[in-house]
Amino acid sequence: MTTTNDRPAVSAAPPRDRIVFAPRVSLADRHRRNKRGRRIDNALRFGVPIGLLVVWQLAAMLDLFDRRFFPAPVDVVDSLGAAVSTGALQDAALVSTYRLVVGFVVGAVVGLVMGFLLGRVRRLNVALDPIISALYTVPKLAMLPILLLIFGLSDLPILVLIAASVFFIVVISTTAAVTAVQKNYMEPAQCFGATRLQTLRHVILPASLPSIFVSLRLAAGNAVLVLIGIEFVQGAAGMGYLIWNSWQLFDVGRMYVGVVLVAIFGVLFQALITGLGRLLTPWTRRGGAGAGH
Amino acid sequence: MATLDELDAPSSGTLAAGSAKITVSGLERHFETPDGLLQALGPLDLEVRDGEFLCIVGPSGCGKSTFLRIAAGLLDPTGGEMSVERGSSGPLSAMVFQDYSIFPWKTVEQNVRFGLEVGNGVPRDADDRTGYWLDRLGLTPFRRSYPSELSGGMRQRVSIARALVVEPEILLMDEPFAALDAQLRMLMQDELLALWQEHRRTVVFITHNLDEAVLLGDRVIVMSRRPGRIVGEFDVPFARPRTADLRGSGEFAALEQEIWANLRSEAYGAAVPEPERPAAPAARGLFRRSR
Repeated sequence: MTTTNDRPAVSAAPPRDRIVFAPRVSLADRHRRNKRGRRIDNALRFGVPIGLLVVWQLAAMLDLFDRRFFPAPVDVVDSLGAAVSTGALQDAALVSTYRLVVGFVVGAVVGLVMGFLLGRVRRLNVALDPIISALYTVPKLAMLPILLLIFGLSDLPILVLIAASVFFIVVISTTAAVTAVQKNYMEPAQCFGATRLQTLRHVILPASLPSIFVSLRLAAGNAVLVLIGIEFVQGAAGMGYLIWNSWQLFDVGRMYVGVVLVAIFGVLFQALITGLGRLLTPWTRRGGAGAGH
Repeated sequence: MATLDELDAPSSGTLAAGSAKITVSGLERHFETPDGLLQALGPLDLEVRDGEFLCIVGPSGCGKSTFLRIAAGLLDPTGGEMSVERGSSGPLSAMVFQDYSIFPWKTVEQNVRFGLEVGNGVPRDADDRTGYWLDRLGLTPFRRSYPSELSGGMRQRVSIARALVVEPEILLMDEPFAALDAQLRMLMQDELLALWQEHRRTVVFITHNLDEAVLLGDRVIVMSRRPGRIVGEFDVPFARPRTADLRGSGEFAALEQEIWANLRSEAYGAAVPEPERPAAPAARGLFRRSR
């Protein structure tokens, strides 16, 4: 081009190395690589736990450790069969499920209602926040003797304690979520003349739902913890009792059955809450990747 | 031209054309801060005519948004007063906020319908009105989408539809296009221009963009730094209906330049050098109204 020829300085410059950016991998290869990557992820996700079980079984069969303390997976399955056949396991699971669900629901509902009130009525928050903060830090299990004294040796103190453990987590997160609802969502509600109740329904509730469900999940895990703890020390039924009782009878296999089932139970309970949360907050999953709000 | 004059008249409203819709006298707003009382606005004296498209420009933090929030009933003034003439029994005002004010948990349709759902009962024609405004703003294909699935321009269309569906007497717009990129912004300006010329109502439009103010407004008000006061007032003489082609005209550029000179000297406190370009077709001070 003439313009280039007009500039002798450029044409006289010594030739330099060119750095080229071009595809290093073909599109088909890239696709294949991604697919293989996903397969490897899945293999790791399921393969590692299964692999560990196999190693454990093999090690037990080779007598690498004392099977009386560390029974092999196969022994645990045997114990599971035995516990199911006597009906002891079903009874324990039923009792624990009942306690967990009732305690959790009561604690969550009361916590949500209180959380919305504290988040919306500033004066109530000022009045009650110190008490709630103080009680939150008290270990719930430490309260068990007092509750037993008040309510006697029934299921009630257990339910109250589980509900209390759930309540504090939920009320604190809900209050925080409600007070954190951004002004840019509150202003349109006010501008279009929404009543307090309509503002709650259309704005505050959906805006705080995602963080509420996070707190419900945390509370669910905590509730299982508290439940098993209580059942260790009090009562004659439930999964915690089953584990503790097995230890006392030196039925190691059944002990492991109890621990594994409680773990599975906790995971399922949390998954249930997560699923419910997804169902109730559809806007957070559909194509929401690009939006930070 | 007679035809243009006819179009210029407000299409609806029981008030006479050009009569005062909003009268502001000595309006002030103070905020309490750790350093004491801070005056954010005023004293402000202003009249907005019925059916007028008024643009307000001014530096950041000059109290433009505060003024709009007082007009929307979101904030009380701390001094002076603002009075509004009611023309109907419908909602007095609706606001189009900056980006991020439509609800991410509602679909496009639910967002647009919001203003009809809250307040005093759902109007009987709520479905028709929602459908009309979804259609008018090209949102019908996205009615079941969530805002996170939309582009910035689409989101602001939702915001505009949400405000217009309640058929307010006054439309308040708080830098509605500020978050959009330059091209999208021009497209949205063109759309708003067409929309307003079709559905005339009193509009108070806040912007940083002088180009936008001149294209859309009947009048442009320049506000000073905090506490915001009116330091300039310009009539925009271009006939309606306007089109986006206006942007290319010399008069348009001259007016924009004149407003900028005013804004720069009064609001930003910088001395404005005399324009050296003799090409400007309009002499300085052609549009400025003395207050």
